[in-house]
Order: sequence, then C-alpha cells, then structure tokens
Amino acid sequence: MEKRSLAYRIQKDWSRNKALYLLVIPVLIFYIVFHYKPMYGAIIAFKDYTPALGVAKSPWVGLDNFTRFFNSIYFGRLIRNTVLLSLYNLIFGFPAPIILALLLNEVKNKKFKSLTQTITYLPHFISLIVVVGMITDFSLSTGLFNDIAALFGMERAPLLQDPKLYRSIYVISSIWQEVGWGAIIYLSALAGVDSQLYEAAQIDGAGKWKQLIHVTLPAIAPTIIVMLILKTGSLMNMGYEKTILLSNPATYETADIISSYVYRIGLLEQDWSYSTAIGLFNSVINMALLIFTNKMSKKYSETSLW
Amino acid sequence: MKKNKVMSLILAASMTAASLAGCGGGAAEEPAATQAAAKPAEGGAAPAEFSYPMAAGDKLTYWAELTTTVSANFSNLGETPFAKGWMENTGADIEFLHPPIGQLREQFSLILADGNLPDMMEFNWMKDYPGGPEKAIKDGVIIPLNDVFDQYCPNIKKYLAEHPDIDKMIKTDEGHYYVFPFIRGDEDLCNTIGLMLREDWLKELNLEVPETIDEWHTVLTAFKEKGVDCPLTFEYTNNQYLDANPFVFAFDTFRSFYLGSDGKAHFGATEEGYKNYLETFHQWYEEGLIDPDIATLKNDQVSAKMTNGNAGAAMGQAGSRMGTWTSAAVQTNPDFVLKAAPQPSNEKGKKAEFGYVELPYSGRASVAITTSCKDVERAARLLDWAYGEEGHMYFNFGTEGVSYEMKDGEPVYTDEILKNPKGLPVSQAMSSYIRGNYNGPLVQDVRYLDQYYTIDSQKETPLVWGSGSSNGAAHMLPPVTPTADESKEFSTIMNEINTYRDEMTLKFIFGTEDLANFDQYVANIEKMGIARATEIQNAALERYNAR
Repeated sequence: MEKRSLAYRIQKDWSRNKALYLLVIPVLIFYIVFHYKPMYGAIIAFKDYTPALGVAKSPWVGLDNFTRFFNSIYFGRLIRNTVLLSLYNLIFGFPAPIILALLLNEVKNKKFKSLTQTITYLPHFISLIVVVGMITDFSLSTGLFNDIAALFGMERAPLLQDPKLYRSIYVISSIWQEVGWGAIIYLSALAGVDSQLYEAAQIDGAGKWKQLIHVTLPAIAPTIIVMLILKTGSLMNMGYEKTILLSNPATYETADIISSYVYRIGLLEQDWSYSTAIGLFNSVINMALLIFTNKMSKKYSETSLW
Repeated sequence: MKKNKVMSLILAASMTAASLAGCGGGAAEEPAATQAAAKPAEGGAAPAEFSYPMAAGDKLTYWAELTTTVSANFSNLGETPFAKGWMENTGADIEFLHPPIGQLREQFSLILADGNLPDMMEFNWMKDYPGGPEKAIKDGVIIPLNDVFDQYCPNIKKYLAEHPDIDKMIKTDEGHYYVFPFIRGDEDLCNTIGLMLREDWLKELNLEVPETIDEWHTVLTAFKEKGVDCPLTFEYTNNQYLDANPFVFAFDTFRSFYLGSDGKAHFGATEEGYKNYLETFHQWYEEGLIDPDIATLKNDQVSAKMTNGNAGAAMGQAGSRMGTWTSAAVQTNPDFVLKAAPQPSNEKGKKAEFGYVELPYSGRASVAITTSCKDVERAARLLDWAYGEEGHMYFNFGTEGVSYEMKDGEPVYTDEILKNPKGLPVSQAMSSYIRGNYNGPLVQDVRYLDQYYTIDSQKETPLVWGSGSSNGAAHMLPPVTPTADESKEFSTIMNEINTYRDEMTLKFIFGTEDLANFDQYVANIEKMGIARATEIQNAALERYNAR
C-alpha cells in the first residue's frame, strides 16, 4: 500500500470509524479533566504557595521544598516504612488471592464453593473506618485477640501500641479484607482454561499437583503478570486513610508512611507546597518502578503493558 | 453600600413623588426628605439612628463547624430555633454552611484553595491559619475590622472599651482587629477541665480526695487492690486533654510552651520536671495503675470504662464528662458519685504553682468577615448584635418566655431546656436555643454554667480546678501572634519536635525507651531547633506586651 500523508490517513480513518471515535471522546475528556489538568497544580511543589495569590502568582522557590524533605529527620524513616510496608503487602498480599482462587477451583461442592466465595469477599464492602474500628477494639488489652491469647496462657498486651506488631496487623488485616475480592479475577481466568487440557494431562498420568503446575498456572500466568505489574506500579502509592486511622504516636516508628505524613503536613498543617513536593517525589518513584517491572516482565515472560 | 444608595434613591424619589402628588405646595419640603433618606448610606450610618431589625437585603453565607450537641438533632444550624430567632431579631437572612464533622481544618484548607469564600467564617483564625491572623489579612482572605468596628459596631466597641485586657488579646501586634471573638466572660468559665474520681470508692476505702502525687499513688493503688482493671484511664492521643494534663503540671512544667516566673516563654517538655513526670507515669504504668491502652483509647471507650466501673479516675470536662457519665451510671449503680479532684501539688496543703486555665480568648470559634463579603455592613451589624445587651441575653439564654424566664432579675432556664419534653439531654436542648453553652461569636455568660451544672460535684469544679487549687493562670502564655515568616519557621520546627516529643513520651511511659536516655532526647530536641522556636515565642511575647 502506498504511503499517504498523516493528515490524509487520519481523515480517512475518521470517516470510516466515526462512531468509534465518538465513543472514545468521553473517556478522553475524563482523563484530560481529572488526570491531566490537575497536573498543572503540581508546580506548586516548586513555589511558596498561598491560596490567596493562586497557583500562578505564588513566588518560585526552586527546590527548597524538596531539600527540606530530604533533610527532615523523618525522611529515612518514612521511606523505609513505606517501602517495607508495601513490600510486605506485595509479598504476602499478592499471592493470597491466587492461592484462594486455586483452592476454590478444586472444590467440587457448588454450594460450599459459592458460600466460601461470598464470605471471603464480603469484607471488601465494609467501610475502612469500620474495619479499623474493629481492629482497634479487638487489639485492646481487653479485646478479642487478647481474650484468645489469654486462653492459650499468653499475657495480655495492647497490640496496637507495639511498633513491632504494627506491620503484621496492617498486612494481615489488608489480606483479610481484600483476598476474596482479588480472587474473583483469577477465578474467571481459571474458568477460561480449556478442560481438554486437563483430560490430556490426566491421560499422560499427571496427578492433581502436576496438573496445577503444568496446566493451570501457565494458563493464568498472563493474568498474574499483568496484575503484578499493576500492583508494582502502585507499590509506593499507599493510601493514607488506613495509616491515619490505625496508627498512633506509639507506633509512628514503623507506621508513619509518606502519604500519612503528607496528609498531616499538607491538610492539617496547611503546608501545601511542601506536601505537594513530597507527593511528586513519591510519584516519580512509582513511575520508575512501573517502568522497571514492565521491562523485566518483557524480558522474561513476553507479557507486558506496552 | 451601593445597594443602600440605590435603595435610598428609590425611597427619596417615591417620597418626592408622594409629596408632589399630595399637594402642590409640597415642593419646598423635597430637599429635606431626600437628605434624610440619603444620609445613612453616605455617612455609613450614625449609630444613634440605626435600629434592629435591619431592612431586608442579600442573603449572607456563614461557615461554621456544627457542634455535636446540635448535629444530634439538626443537620444545619439554620434549622435550629436559635438561628431562626437570630435572623428574625437582626433582620439578616443567613445561609449556614458546615464542614463534615471532624473535618474542620481539611475543609477550611479546601475552601481557601478554591478561593470562593463564604461571607463569614467561624474558625480559629489566631492559631489555625498558617502564618497567623495578620497573614490572613495580607493574603486578602479576611478584612481588618478596625474601621468596621468604628462604623457599624457600637456594641463590641463598648465591650472592648470596658475590657482593655480582652481588647489586647483580640488584636494583632499591628493593632488590627480581625474577628468577632468568642470570649469567656468569667473566670469560672475558664476552669472546665480537670481530674475526677469515684467518691463512693474513696469512702468505701476510707480515703480522702488526693491532693498530691503521693496521695494519688495511694488512691490508685487502693483502687487496683480493690480489683479495678485500670484505676486511671486516659486518652494519650487527645491533644485537648494532653495540654491540660494535671499530672504534668504537678511537676511544675508544661508539655509545650509556658510563661515562666521570669516573664519569658519556656518549653516544658525538655525540663527536669518533665523527666520526673515521665518517671512517675512509667512507674504507675508498670504497676498497672494506668490504663494499658492509653495510646489507642477514644472517648467512647473511656466513657464506657468510667461508667461501668472498669476505671476509677479520669480527666475531662465537668459538663460533657462528669455530668454525662454520672447520669448514665446512676441508672445501674445508684451509689455512683464522681468528685472533682484539685490540681495535684508537690506538697500537701500547698497550692500548686501550675495548673490548667483556659484563656478568656483562645481564638476558637471566632468569626472573621472575608474579602468575598459584598455587604460588610450587614455582616458586621449581624455579628455586633451578640455583644449588645439584647443579643447577649439571646445568645446565652435564648428567647424570654420560651427558653428562659426572668426571676428576681436573673435569667432562669425553663423546663423546655432543663427537663425537655422531647427528652433531649440538657446540653442538646440548650444547643437548640442558644450558643452560649458551647462557643461562637459572643461573650459567654457565667449564669449559664450555674444552671447547666446540675450535680453538686459539678458545681464545685470551677473552684476546685481553678484558682482554688493552683496558680495556673500566671503561667498561661497569652495569645501571642508570631509574624508570618516567624510563624512558618516556628511551625516547621515545632511540627517535628511535637511529633518526636509525643512518640518519645509514650516510649518513656511504656518503658520501651529507658529514662536514662532522657538527656539524649533533650539533645535531639535541641538539635531540631527548640532554641530558635523559643526565641520566636519570646519575640512575639515582647510585642504582645508592648501592644
């Protein structure tokens, strides 16, 4: 086919696929309005922003806000806490729904299967505030967890005041809340696996375990990898809500993460420029992580986002 | 202003037309009539001629936090009988806007960032606007009120002239007025937080109300031996209570800045006294005298423990805690009595040197007029009303014949408030009709308190917690205002120090950090720049004294 000018090709394509273009417009507008336009505001990270002066007129301060963050005594701790907490969340939180989906897939009793599924994904719909309220109550020295511990002869202790326990409580409660919901996508991937493959494997003498390794896992591997890339991309992007609700000064040592710090400084102390600078720094790391994982995945598994 | 002029022109024109139509000879009177009608608009209204209610005008917007005793029954302040009467009496039409409960400061930030301000905003402009009130004026967020007071606010002018000490507090160093303030009109109203404990248990154990740290130790130990889980309960994350923590004062220090006997500002949490406090609290914690969950407790858990007998002592307000707990607990345990304990001192029989006293003006719930307000006169007159005689009575007692009656020259609440027919607790019934029982742009009247406190031990609290047991008022730092630059530097330094202090304090109390490391802790705080922060406080204090 002979090569035409770009404008010509666009025009041709437009007239041919008008409806498709029209369909995509709302999505484009959404991204422009809610994701690209707000990026302009990020320049206040380099300014001394005052609402009264507005974004445009506030004076430039260069990298002051970033230097202040890098020199803060909390810098190291915030990075460490954020990275560790996200890593634990990834290492323990990522495989959990896969395992649950694989287990559910093997269950033959339909009723039991759907009951289990419902029970495991229900916590997803409970408001975070309620979940944290429950955890807090159960963790009191007179709470449920301590009642159970006391049954086994262990000493009662306020669990949420111990920095050493904080990360475990955070990660385990997250898994509890999200495991059922996360399993849905894998279950649907599993449903798509050709049953002939299992028959073939059985004829070849593969047991349940071998079938799992050689048929099931390869079949859902693309789903797993895409999910992994997405998760890694938001690795440093931990919400502040849970931390703000669950932590207290006694556990800041292991609990305080970048986003909760930004929340306290930015919205409570109203230091907008400083908190934007920290947020921007966080996004840059996120972006780098996403690109890195994508590269790795491309190299080793031929599945990637772009 | 513009609107007023137009109004008066129309008025003048119609009067002229009327006089012309009435009789042919009326023409001579015309200039006089025009003048009389136009005068208030031009001269900004002479006080003598103005009277409430105002003529109808534009709707004003009023942004304020909705307090819990109101939100229990109303979703908007405008629905309360209080607000309806306020509008009726002043002639203003107000639209009330409220941030979601518990998100006052977040919403405030968002409104500022948005730039579209309500006409009036009720907030702590002194402490919570970054950079302080002078910066809020310079940023063009709110207007200075000096001229406004002179022109439209005879009531507040009169009040300030009679109370020069308050006048000094509500100004900036540059002499600008910036809010219609919330003022506690009596010393008793400044002593509303303190310690309380179970008197019935004390009697049972043959003990006296403790007055010193040693006596507290004895009492708490006796409670423990009696089988009480946590003799003393305490939310160690609630800043309101931590700032008023009587056990810190017992060691002659503060957790933050205080006014020393030398007339200078000092930071308490690095002093020897604070170390001694930590030592004592750590010991009590080890001995199980303090609630083991202090860092995670919330108000409802503390309330539950106090009312069901799992705890025997706590701190809090005479109204919302002592009163509420007692009325809840006596239903199942008629012997339940809470008694106010004085500020502990370090020597028996000696008045404590330090103690908690609220300032008459804390900055809280004070209303500023924003630069977005188009009709400043209207807003000013609306707010000024509360500081006059009629408004004062209305804000503190409500409407005569409905929420109060005059008996022997004193206002007495009716049964609508004290024994509400709908069964509302007194605090909620009050909040429907008045604002004097919580806060707002008004001068709080002590006569409300005498009737709000219904239990004997509540009535004792102002004296027991206040000047009767401590010399605390002498050590409260007055409401100083650092300059915008100072304030930024100060908050940058203090944010880090406060976080560090709170963390370390808990670690010292729990014993996860050895008190032998206290010197290291002090050295770290010094490294974070406490000297500079103290310097800023002292500079602001000097300017305050020079006002």
